Amino acid sequence: MRRGRWRVPLLGLAGSEAAPGSRRRVEGILLLALIALPLVIQDTFLIDRLGRYFLFAAFAISVDLIWGYGGLFTFGHAAFFGGGGYIVGMLTTLDAAFLPVPLWAALVGAVLAMALFALALSYFVFSGRGALRGVEFAVVTLAVAVAAERLTNAGGSVTGGQNGILMSSSLGIPGVISLQQGYGFYALAGLLLLATYVGVQRFLNSRSGLILRGIRENEDRIDLLGYDVPAIKRRAFVLSAAIAALAGAVFYVHEGIVSPSAVGVGASTLVLLWVVLGGRGTLIGPIVGAILLPHLTATLSGSLLDTWLVAVGVILVAVILVLPSGIFGFLNRERGT
Amino acid sequence: MSVLTIDGLTKSFRGFVAVNDVSLELNGGELRGLIGANGAGKSTLLHLIYGRLPADRGTIRFGDTDVTHLLAHQRARLGMGLVFQVASVFDDLTIEENLLLGALPKLPGTEPSVDRGEVERVLELIELADVRWRRARHLSHGQQRWLEIGMVLLTKPRLLLLDEPTSGMTRAESRRTASLLRELQAARAAEAMIVVEHNIEFIRLVSDRVTVMHRGEVLADGTIDEVQANPEVQASYLGRRH
Repeated sequence: MRRGRWRVPLLGLAGSEAAPGSRRRVEGILLLALIALPLVIQDTFLIDRLGRYFLFAAFAISVDLIWGYGGLFTFGHAAFFGGGGYIVGMLTTLDAAFLPVPLWAALVGAVLAMALFALALSYFVFSGRGALRGVEFAVVTLAVAVAAERLTNAGGSVTGGQNGILMSSSLGIPGVISLQQGYGFYALAGLLLLATYVGVQRFLNSRSGLILRGIRENEDRIDLLGYDVPAIKRRAFVLSAAIAALAGAVFYVHEGIVSPSAVGVGASTLVLLWVVLGGRGTLIGPIVGAILLPHLTATLSGSLLDTWLVAVGVILVAVILVLPSGIFGFLNRERGT
Repeated sequence: MSVLTIDGLTKSFRGFVAVNDVSLELNGGELRGLIGANGAGKSTLLHLIYGRLPADRGTIRFGDTDVTHLLAHQRARLGMGLVFQVASVFDDLTIEENLLLGALPKLPGTEPSVDRGEVERVLELIELADVRWRRARHLSHGQQRWLEIGMVLLTKPRLLLLDEPTSGMTRAESRRTASLLRELQAARAAEAMIVVEHNIEFIRLVSDRVTVMHRGEVLADGTIDEVQANPEVQASYLGRRH
């Protein structure tokens, strides 16, 4: 009999029924292959577009963390993604008191602000006897997205109202290196995605990650085992919001503008589609979904001028009907014994 | 030393008294059978003990601690473990992950490590060591129940509560469960155990002392032979079964 103590982070058991290391290796190879694409693609426009998709993918992972792994269905996560963009925009363009601040400080500020907002919200929704679950939680997140969109619309000169905020900063170090577009932006987005993937993987392999997956499966049992369920949910929610905020902040600086639709229900729904398509409860699935669907949309909108939206809808419905657990969710189940 | 002391415990649901003025004492090393017909109040009493239901009246002492007003997860942290009537495992997690959730420290901030030997011993005990990578949803009903027992055992409970552990099991699975419980008792896996059952033959296999409940009250208490010879028990419970 083997003796000794297991430290949970070393187990590497993030939801795999097959030998756990093999799936991570496949995912890692796929991710590195994606990031290494510039070696074979020389099209700067496409590279730039892929960089945007990488940030979408980081956003999708943040949603998958709480929905796919935690069972907390969110309808308003764009409030954090777009919120990150808005905070950076305000901190770098407003002229008041200590503002504007340098971009790096604004990025830190955006992540902290959204994490604090998520922490406050999570105390409201996860704690006490009135803790929300399932549809109730989804409705609250939906309300947050609606409120965020209205707030940014009505924010006057602070949020730019309907027009949003025109960014004044560029990604990179002025005079040294520009990461605003092309290969530089691609590398920045790729690194951010890689860090998100590794960080979330580590979280899922930790004690908190295992408990989070237990909450998804059977929240009552986790509670009756003696775990602090609200604390674990809060941790995952705040981490998820911070990732979304960082990805959103970088994305909207790259775009040069952030407007109210960035924090609304539309953007919140779109990320759910990416996760569903790729396979929730897997880490590679949301990445593939966040690249595949926007790329399909961009390609079809160029060739089918009037009917591209219908075509995308039909493809999406067909895929979900055939693979209800998404591409990688299906592959995982097929490998199960 | 008394592990559990219940005094005058009462619970009603909209006027229906499910548990009425029940008092009970459980000593160290004891495996108490709790039997009675459907609706006798056995499961309600178990859930009152564990804190899944708040009591209307009465007190529950766990060792030296009055736990009457504590929530279920607080009682779990003090050392109570409950195995549900319907297998309550984590379907999409592997067997090993299910057991880890039992074994991990429950309070945040503590070192997130588990005793590998303990997990291995439980895997062997519930005979699932060879399929440890399998997801719980792929197990048979009986195996899921054993997995749940294993998971709760790894919380190192001082008091183990089992709600109809053979419910839905085949005869062979029931016999294996009886043997498992005897092994646990012999190994002093918990200071004391309460097994709720209405299968009196199963109780005979695992328990020396039984408490019979009828209409929310304790009808009789004693060895299995004593309660089977009790005319009131024969009339109200055993008689009805034959």
